[in-house]
Amino acid sequence: MKKLIAAAFFALLPLTVRAEYEQVNLTVFGMDCAPCAHAIHVSMKGIEGVNTVDVDLNSGLVVIKLAPGNSASMRQFNQAVEKNGFTHKDAEIVVKGKLTGTTNAPVLEVSGTSDRYTLSPSANSQDIASLLGKTVTVGGVVPQAPKGKLSDTLRYKTITEAR
Amino acid sequence: MRFFMILACALSLPGIAMAADHGPVFSYATPVNSQGELSFDTGIFGRSGSRGSQLSTGSSFGYGLTPHVTISAFLPASFGSGSLAESRIISGSEWSAGASWRFLHSVTSVGKRIESTASLGVVVPGPQPDSGVLAGLHRAPGAAGSLAAGLASRRQYLWAGGGYTRFAEASGDRRPDTISWSGVYGYRPAKLRRGYEQWDYRGFAELTGERTGRVLKSGVTLPGSSTTTVWLGPSVLAIFKNIAISGGLQAPVFRDSSDTIYGREHLRFAINFSYLKYSSHTSAH
Repeated sequence: MKKLIAAAFFALLPLTVRAEYEQVNLTVFGMDCAPCAHAIHVSMKGIEGVNTVDVDLNSGLVVIKLAPGNSASMRQFNQAVEKNGFTHKDAEIVVKGKLTGTTNAPVLEVSGTSDRYTLSPSANSQDIASLLGKTVTVGGVVPQAPKGKLSDTLRYKTITEAR
Repeated sequence: MRFFMILACALSLPGIAMAADHGPVFSYATPVNSQGELSFDTGIFGRSGSRGSQLSTGSSFGYGLTPHVTISAFLPASFGSGSLAESRIISGSEWSAGASWRFLHSVTSVGKRIESTASLGVVVPGPQPDSGVLAGLHRAPGAAGSLAAGLASRRQYLWAGGGYTRFAEASGDRRPDTISWSGVYGYRPAKLRRGYEQWDYRGFAELTGERTGRVLKSGVTLPGSSTTTVWLGPSVLAIFKNIAISGGLQAPVFRDSSDTIYGREHLRFAINFSYLKYSSHTSAH
C-alpha cells in the first residue's frame, strides 16, 4: 500500500507547479566601489536557492537568478541589501504563485515563503478570472518600501498560467 | 561565533585607526563595515625628521555589529627614534579600541552616498617606550573621539573630519591633547569606473592638520612643546573585490613647532593592506 502511495506521489510530482521566485532585479542605491558590489554578491549568493548574481556598479542593477525548487523570500533579498548599508528601488520580479482572492482583488501567494502580494495591473487590466485558483507566473514590479519593510503590492505586467 | 569576534576585538584594545578599510590612508572618512563584516588592516607608517625617523606598523580589526555600527581595535608597534611630536594622524605606539557609528546615511541614488560617522574610543599606552620629549613621561590612558562627513560616489569622494584625543594625567605628567582634522578629495577616472571583478583604482589628495597641546611634566608645562602642523599629499587606493592596497605621502605645508624639542619633521608616508570578509548570512524568510 505504501509503495502504491509513493508511486502515485512520484507520478503526480511532475504535474505539480511549485511557487517560487525565478528572477529578481534590484536597482541598489549607494554602491560606489568594488567591495560594495562584492558584499552584495556574497550576501545574495548566501541565500539558499540563488543560482547566479550579476552586479553592475554603474547602473546599480543586481540581477538574481534562482534555481528551480528554491524557497527564497523577498525579505531575504531586502536583508542582503540593507545589511550592507544600502537601499534598493523598486524590485522587478518573475515569480510563480497561486492566484487567490477575487477578480477585483486578486492575491498572489508564494507558497514555501510567507510572501503574499495584492496584485494590481501596471497598465491595462487583464482578465484574470480564468486564472483564479491556479498557479501562475507573474512578471511585475514590487514598489520600493520604507527601510526594513516589505511592500505587499505587486504591479504585474504579465500573468500567465504556470507550466 | 559573533560573540567571540566581539570579545576578541574588545580584549585586544586598539584604537581608532585612520588607515582603515578602503578609504583614504591618512584622513578621516565615513565608511563603516557591513553587518557581520570582519575587516583586517595592516600597514606601515613612517615619519622622517631632522632627528631621525620613526616607523610603525599596526594592525586593526573591525567587525560590523549592524550596517552602521562597527567596533574596532588597533595594535601598533613602532621602531626608531625620531623625537617627534605627538600625532594621531600617524599611529604611534598606543593601542586603541573603539566604536564607530554612521549616524547619518543618505542613499537615494545609484552609486552615491552622503553620510556622517562618529567614533569614540580608548587609547592605551602600549608596552613600547616613547622617544624624545615624550619618553620620560608617566603614561596614562586617554579617550579619542572623531567626526567625519562627506560624499562617496562612482566619480568622486569628498570627506571632512576632525578628532580630539585627551590623555589622563599620571604622577604629574600628561601627554599633550591633540586636535586633528582632515579634508580629502578623491577621484576615479571614467575609464576606471568598470566592473567589480576588475581592479578598482582611485586617487586622493589629502590635507591633514594637527595641533598638539603642551606636554605636562612633573606638574609643569614644558614651554614650546605645543605644535601645529598641516600636511598635504597624494594617495592611491587599489581594490580587487575584498582586498585593498593603499599608499600615500605627505609633506608639510605649515609647521609651527619647536625645532629644539622635536626637530623638523619633513615627510610622512603610509602603506596599508586591507582584507574584508563579508557575511553571507541572511535569516530565513
